Amino acid sequence: MKKYLIMVGVAALGAATAASAQTPAWNDIKGEQLIALKAKGDPARGEVAFEPCQGCHRKDASGRTSGAYPRLSGQHATVLIKQIADIRAGRRLNPKMEPFIEDHAITPYEIADIAAYLQGLPISVENGKGPGTGVAAGRQIYDKDCANCHGARGEGNAEQFYPMLAAQHYRYLLREMLFIRDGDRKNSNPEMVKVIKPYATADLEALADYMSQFPPPR
Amino acid sequence: MKNTDRKLVHRARRFRGSVAAAAAAALSALAAGPVLADDAKAIAGSVCVACHGENGNSVIPMFPKIAGLPEEYIVKQLRDFMSGRRKSDIMAPIVTQIKPEDVAPLAAYYAAQKPAAGKAEDKKVADLGKLIFFDGNEDTGVPACIGCHAPQGAGHGMYPRIGGQHQEYVKQQLKNFAAGDRSNDVSRFMRVTAKRMSDEEIQAVAEYLVGIGSK
Repeated sequence: MKKYLIMVGVAALGAATAASAQTPAWNDIKGEQLIALKAKGDPARGEVAFEPCQGCHRKDASGRTSGAYPRLSGQHATVLIKQIADIRAGRRLNPKMEPFIEDHAITPYEIADIAAYLQGLPISVENGKGPGTGVAAGRQIYDKDCANCHGARGEGNAEQFYPMLAAQHYRYLLREMLFIRDGDRKNSNPEMVKVIKPYATADLEALADYMSQFPPPR
Repeated sequence: MKNTDRKLVHRARRFRGSVAAAAAAALSALAAGPVLADDAKAIAGSVCVACHGENGNSVIPMFPKIAGLPEEYIVKQLRDFMSGRRKSDIMAPIVTQIKPEDVAPLAAYYAAQKPAAGKAEDKKVADLGKLIFFDGNEDTGVPACIGCHAPQGAGHGMYPRIGGQHQEYVKQQLKNFAAGDRSNDVSRFMRVTAKRMSDEEIQAVAEYLVGIGSK
């Protein structure tokens, strides 16, 4: 675990120097994101620091099948660190969550602890699924435009900060895609915005439907 | 170290302020000689009993039940009343009668008392409160109470027991948090939460909480 995190941290640092020239707004790794990525997250400390998050994300971090709050269990630590740091800094708009994770609520080291804890959690409780009617159309879009970064089965990519999509709730997937397409998420990868822009809402519904059927990676 | 022990250590570190206060209280207790449980009981019986009732189960709706509150929470509240971080015209003069070295034994005494639940009167209102206790309100971003306050609202560590608490007191505290009149919560969590709750939700949660916590 620790070894893996160090590895990811080093990879992230490498990626930071390479990526900062191209996409500084999307993933300019500095400040507390850098501190958290370099820190050796401790799952035991993370379990305690995660307590105040349980009211929304549930004790097992499975989120809500309604999609109101995402599943966090099993997500890549790098992704969790980036998203928390972005929300705290106002780079990702999330007014519901923002006041609960202000600087005085958790330290950058606790972000690393929470991320390490969540990454190692089992993926319990089945995710909220789409209606199943868009699976075929969704698969076509996914294989063409999404699989390259997010993996054939929604595994994501820890080193590239691409989230795991498998086992995520249907309505959350759909909501965030609409936010990304319409520019409401603010911290999106510009490459992804370019790819998702042409799609109609019905296309994204089909896509989310397909993605929600991915089995958990482990 | 056992996993549960490690959790306790981390929890203590996380709330270092209150732990420092508890440690200071414990140290001054040592300096003054051991404070016996009997002494804490005597203070409880003279200073606290009039409002908080025999064994901490107040029967007056505006005064909280303090039996079975987590020790850490009681220490923090007494310290906050003493320092003015938690404002109360009633408690401010009363805590001047409590010596710093008596804080820790008093907290241990009340934490060990058996809490007595009350009874919800309006089941329909309590049912809405139950929803909020387990799920919060996803539309307005109200977290579920159970997330921090634990099953049956039993509380732990910094999070107070809320199961079985008087409706009047719960409502008053939520309104105080919402208005910012009470501001000694951990990292604004309750101020943000209470502000997001409607009057109806506050009423409902209070009605549900009074009837739970006996298990």
